[in-house]
Amino acid sequence: MIYLLPALEILMVIHEMGRFGALLLASSGGALTLMYFLAGSRKIGKRMIPVDREEMEWLHEGITRLSKRAKIKPPKVYLLDDYIPNAYSFGNNIVLSLGLFEVLDEEGILAVAAHELGHIKNRDTRLFPIVMYLRFLMMTLTGAVLLLGSPLAKVSSLILYIAYEVERSKFMKKREFKADRAALKILDVPLSLKRALEELKYYEDLRASVKVNGIPSIEPGIDRDERTRSRLIDTHPSYEERIARILMYSNILNFQIK
Amino acid sequence: MKPHEFKLTEDGIRAVLPPLEADIMEHMWKVRVATAGQVYEYMKKKHPEIRRSTVSILMNRLCEKGLLERTVDRGRGGMRYVYSVTTTREEFEENVVKSILDALMNNFREATYAYLSKMKK
Repeated sequence: MIYLLPALEILMVIHEMGRFGALLLASSGGALTLMYFLAGSRKIGKRMIPVDREEMEWLHEGITRLSKRAKIKPPKVYLLDDYIPNAYSFGNNIVLSLGLFEVLDEEGILAVAAHELGHIKNRDTRLFPIVMYLRFLMMTLTGAVLLLGSPLAKVSSLILYIAYEVERSKFMKKREFKADRAALKILDVPLSLKRALEELKYYEDLRASVKVNGIPSIEPGIDRDERTRSRLIDTHPSYEERIARILMYSNILNFQIK
Repeated sequence: MKPHEFKLTEDGIRAVLPPLEADIMEHMWKVRVATAGQVYEYMKKKHPEIRRSTVSILMNRLCEKGLLERTVDRGRGGMRYVYSVTTTREEFEENVVKSILDALMNNFREATYAYLSKMKK
């Protein structure tokens, strides 16, 4: 579905605008492909420092061990000079922010790294950029149809675009759950991922609370206000959803082991 | 750092800093340089329920207030953030007094002069 909707939009643009549509499609497609390759070659930022094996042996060895279990080539690991706890992956690389090391212990950091290894194993690091660039293409084509298309084409194009956003959100969430599932299979202590997510949720809630109230306390802030977020087009599941699924998968895994 | 409020009912630096931030600063003025993990170990003794996240957020908040400075350190155990104090406790207290007196002079000039001259006597 995630690929079918852009295909339908492309067909509609060509049908509606003829040669101009084909030209628009070729130029925006070309520009996005160029952007894809340019972005790919510039992803190693100045604030990203490669992990030194000697300095952080536990991290290097831990990630190598988890990669072997996941049957993938060990990724290159970078540390990001950012005090906000964060982790992400691209290509065969994992980035962990220094803030992560302040709020999680070694087990928690390896759990977060295992989630990123899950993304690499599931080929999300290749898929996500494609989904993102397809989104840009959908935006461009929908914009063109809204400006130049017939009334029927305008309505259809808008419906296709909204359907794509909803589908993209569902797709991305599914991949997050799938990465968690892959992590649970390779971790020494599968529930360490649950504990790490609980700590990260606590951090986010507390930080939001400190920002709003300006009064730091030991207690976590109230849960994030769900009304301010659009569940329909969110690309990340909430911590609560992920924790609930982790508990479910852990039970299934335990059952399978027994 | 210029205090934005002064709590008349609190003692010491708690009058201008929230209690946990004040505890962290008291400790930081003693040790001068520490990681969030080291401060967490110290704070845990006083507040057993405190979490690593709380200490990290508060220390970064103190950085935003200009009381602490964060630098990347490459030492044993790998890279990490190290926090250091930017002023001495005495300088901080001087700043607080100056800010409060400036505010009093701007808002209640006559009364402040009158009171200060009475104090001199």
